[in-house]
Amino acid sequence: MTAELPGERSHAPSGGDLAALLAKVARGDEAAFAGVYDRFATVVYGLVRRVVRDPAQSEEVTQEVLLEVWRTASRFDPGQGSARSWLMMLAHRRAIDRVRSAQAAAAREARAAVAATDYDVVAEEVETRLDAQRVRRCLDTLTELQRESVTLAYYGGYTYREVAALLGVAVGTVKTRMRDGLIRLRDCLGTDS
Amino acid sequence: MRLRRTDPHTLAGAYALDALSEEDRERFERHLGVCESCRAEAASLRDAAGRLAEATAAAPPPRLRGLVLAEAARTRQQPPPVRVAERVRRSWHGVGWPAAPRLAVAIAGVGILVALALGTLLINDQHRLHMDEAQRSQIAAVLNAPDADIMTVSARTHGSATVVMSHADHALVLTTARLPALPATKCYQVWLMGPHRMKSAGRLPPPKQGMTPPMIVPGVAAGDEMGVTVEPVGGSPRPSSRPVVMLALPSA
Repeated sequence: MTAELPGERSHAPSGGDLAALLAKVARGDEAAFAGVYDRFATVVYGLVRRVVRDPAQSEEVTQEVLLEVWRTASRFDPGQGSARSWLMMLAHRRAIDRVRSAQAAAAREARAAVAATDYDVVAEEVETRLDAQRVRRCLDTLTELQRESVTLAYYGGYTYREVAALLGVAVGTVKTRMRDGLIRLRDCLGTDS
Repeated sequence: MRLRRTDPHTLAGAYALDALSEEDRERFERHLGVCESCRAEAASLRDAAGRLAEATAAAPPPRLRGLVLAEAARTRQQPPPVRVAERVRRSWHGVGWPAAPRLAVAIAGVGILVALALGTLLINDQHRLHMDEAQRSQIAAVLNAPDADIMTVSARTHGSATVVMSHADHALVLTTARLPALPATKCYQVWLMGPHRMKSAGRLPPPKQGMTPPMIVPGVAAGDEMGVTVEPVGGSPRPSSRPVVMLALPSA
């Protein structure tokens, strides 16, 4: 692994490493938990910040996510998917919960305008990172509607019905585009790495 | 199993992106419980969605590390559900419980953990395919009830029965394992037997790979015992044979 090369891929270690760390965390190993923090706090915080936007709230949510990892590491089930996927799901759901619960309609609309345009900015911010480049490259293989559906949902925290309203297309179309967009993304990332 | 007016398969992408309403998500997750290929697809799409986070990595303020680690050090961790599941599974297969001359009953006061573990065992299996929505939600309610008790009892003949009971719901969920197979003219019938009544709860569903799918038995009253008898295939108004399973239900 490239753990000895911090800065190059340290924000995206393999899921296998994380699974091993989680097993230790589940047994109360605080050093292992610090290891999880050191390797994943960047990717968790970055995602939460992207969805929640407010820095102070993003810190809170990041803290909640990592504590949830600490508390529920014993619940991670390798049979249900990779450790990394589990962690990102915890982070994404927490972030989504925060924006969905705290949201007044006005704030929601304001965010819509930003979310719709922000993908390029985000991608630029991180362009120097290899993983980000690969994700970006794979996102570029999606059709525009697939990409917008996927990124509005994931980064914007919108439900598929909201995405359909934002894009002015049928709900059924959005559902389908989310699915075939993710399939394309999955296949691209899988063969690309 | 299907989602109302919707082909559930098309929701896999929105699910992986957490773009479903809570209601849609619950419905889709119920569908995942019965659709293995959907689970595999959902996991792979979830994985792909998670990779999107790689494009947004950003370092948190350095002080967060100390805060998180300190908070973890004073936060109690949740126990793993696995041990519970293993205990249930073991009792389920009749291993690990003494073969007592009388019916051996193991009763564990359980909280939500055990109920959930059992729920996972029950609901993740293919039996669900044959159950309608209303039954499933009743079963889930009992399995998830905070006051659920779980009991396993050996059958007089062979095999065992496992019951999860919720006093608050006045209902129990029954499954059996490895009861002797019956000729086509006979069936197993389930009864609630109270001090002043004898109530049929209907026929035990046919077994799949030796186990009967979870069956909901509503209308449980204080002092009831649950019994299973062998009856003619159409069922009987009253038990006509000695129970193969008999279980005194705990009072609240």
